[in-house]
Amino acid sequence: MKKFLALALALVMSLSLVACGGNTTTDTTQNDDTTDDQTTQEVTADDIEDNMTSEDGTYEVAFVTDVGQLKDKSFNEGTWNGVKLYAYNNGLSYKYYQPANGNEATDDDRYDAMAAAAEAGAKVVVCAGYLQEAALRRAATDYPDTKFVFIDGYAINADGSDTLLTNVAGIAFQEEQCGYLAGYAVVKDGFTKLGFTGGGGGTNPACCRYGYGFVQGANAAAAEMDVQVEMNYSWQYGSSYSASPELQTMCNGWYENGTEVIFACGGSMFQSVAAAASANDGYVVGVDTDQAGDSDTVITSAMKGIGEAAQYAIAKVYDDTWDEIGGLTTTLGAADDAVGLPTDEGSWRLETYTVEEYQAELESIKTGENAVDADYNNLQQEYSNLTLNII
Amino acid sequence: MTFLVQQTLIYAIPLMIVALAGVFAERSGIINLALEGIMIFGAFVGVYFVRYMQEAGTFAAAKEAGDWVTLQGFELLAMLVAALMGALFSLLLSFASVNLKADQTIGGTALNLMAPALVLFLIRILANQNTLQMAEGDAASWFMIKKTTLGFDRSAELGFFGTTFLHKVYLATYVCILLFIVLSIVLYKTKFGLRLRSCGENPQAADSLGINVYKMRYAGTTISGALAGMGGFVYALTTANCTANGDVAGFGFLALAVMIFGNWKPLNIAGASLLFGLFKCVAASYSSIDINGDGVYLLAEIGVSPHFYRMLPYLITLIVLAFTSKKSRAPKAEGVPYDKGKR
Repeated sequence: MKKFLALALALVMSLSLVACGGNTTTDTTQNDDTTDDQTTQEVTADDIEDNMTSEDGTYEVAFVTDVGQLKDKSFNEGTWNGVKLYAYNNGLSYKYYQPANGNEATDDDRYDAMAAAAEAGAKVVVCAGYLQEAALRRAATDYPDTKFVFIDGYAINADGSDTLLTNVAGIAFQEEQCGYLAGYAVVKDGFTKLGFTGGGGGTNPACCRYGYGFVQGANAAAAEMDVQVEMNYSWQYGSSYSASPELQTMCNGWYENGTEVIFACGGSMFQSVAAAASANDGYVVGVDTDQAGDSDTVITSAMKGIGEAAQYAIAKVYDDTWDEIGGLTTTLGAADDAVGLPTDEGSWRLETYTVEEYQAELESIKTGENAVDADYNNLQQEYSNLTLNII
Repeated sequence: MTFLVQQTLIYAIPLMIVALAGVFAERSGIINLALEGIMIFGAFVGVYFVRYMQEAGTFAAAKEAGDWVTLQGFELLAMLVAALMGALFSLLLSFASVNLKADQTIGGTALNLMAPALVLFLIRILANQNTLQMAEGDAASWFMIKKTTLGFDRSAELGFFGTTFLHKVYLATYVCILLFIVLSIVLYKTKFGLRLRSCGENPQAADSLGINVYKMRYAGTTISGALAGMGGFVYALTTANCTANGDVAGFGFLALAVMIFGNWKPLNIAGASLLFGLFKCVAASYSSIDINGDGVYLLAEIGVSPHFYRMLPYLITLIVLAFTSKKSRAPKAEGVPYDKGKR
């Protein structure tokens, strides 16, 4: 009896092995098929897996965030999509490293993530977010052969010296320009009561530029139309760009009191603002990427080309032109087609303001004829047609 | 005023229902410190259920057709699932404290430590990030009842009560209120309730009358777990746009405070949670609260620092507790594992 049992067991095991083997072969063939299909078709970032496993356990292209979610449907996700697209289209391995401790991540946590990426064979590490500076300085010094791309950042010097680290490329954007365009567009579309809620508690230069541009744009449009515009302006919630019940209640209060559009400027904060907008039939202006697909309440988005910038910078590593950006701050603006509003059919939800008018406005910024002030320390000034209500 | 009432309810309801969850456990003699942990778990389960159903497209047709009754059914189903899993999760506590006679405070704390870690771990696996969100849309567009969903015109006037209780509300709020009332009656007016309470006061005496103390304590903790799990999902739905991130902003611990504050009595608890919810709401929206509707935002104009408003809910709780805790009386046998041989 015992012998029979052992025999049966052995049989079952070998059968299951055979079954496994069979599956693997069919899997591989299927994979081959899909790759063939995809090379002929246009792939979008959403089609590319977030987790890829390389055969030798090394990953050439790495991505590190500062705080906030990878899938924030905004800044982090937009950059990540650029990283994925480049890696996918060029057959490179890629990996996302999240610093430990989530929203409370420290410089040490970020350094650890970068070091892990460099140790795992990364040729280029894309670091998104202005909080990366201190960690980046250490990582770039410790791993001189690895290239670092500092999105929303600037060229940084080595610790205690004036020489700039040549393996770090800073990419900055002129957010005030797309903030301006968004503010201009919504006022031109007939809205007069606006709101702005920014992340980072007013310490993030990018968010400050967005906000200041938004105010200037709204004021300019109001002056042209000879109307008075009111704007609530707050940095109170979302210091780590996260959604919170308090932020939602605050936005509910604004909408309740007549605010029509709120510019949700900061990653996952969008969730709270969109929930409040949806409850009150209000509108939201998205940030960084085209957020029209995330909620019907998004009327337009102040976009910057973070994904494109990531691809652009990674490409510089692989075509040996890194010297053009390494150790420098590259500032991208309207003139580089790096900022603007989405004009696709589904994303253009403004009713009276037309794409043509927008193109004309964009052109005037491109040529420099319409200069948007980037120095957000001037935020608190007298505006001709706008009352700024800082909360 | 409408705004104030609605926002207060949104904060108060999860507190109220979770505090009642605490009452059920403690009245049966088990200290349920794990309320926070169970809420976190319940929120995760509920949100995951919603996300899973959305991905499977089960309710896509109803959403497309604007069939709000079905969507409300979906919401109730998610609440039920969260409650079931909350009850299951709380069995860990009952098993440790009833069968193994372990220290209940430590058992509860262990669950509180375990829940956020477990939930974050699962979210990382499921979504590769720290927050689990709905697969599409937002909580308001799927689940919120507005006057347009009820078939009224956008500009229809419903009067004060209509706009306050029928417009921009969640069905979950009313289900919780109803459950709260029904369960309070069960606790005080039924045979089961009396037996449950007796096990929290003097289990030996209860046993001598033929009541199975172990069973009663299991029942109390399981009801507690179900309510806390549901409360967690209601919190996630109404205040966090149906997202779960291993955190309910300390609402479970607040509920414990509310329960003690309310002296383990449902009516007092309802009052306490409304008070707390009111101040929480004031703290977040003081700048846009117009109390009597004359266009003057009094709270914003008296020039008190916003930080003061944000402290207010906790300050009030502290003060009231300081004055009322003398009179509060916990169930006598809570926290003591039942031992048949003990006199």
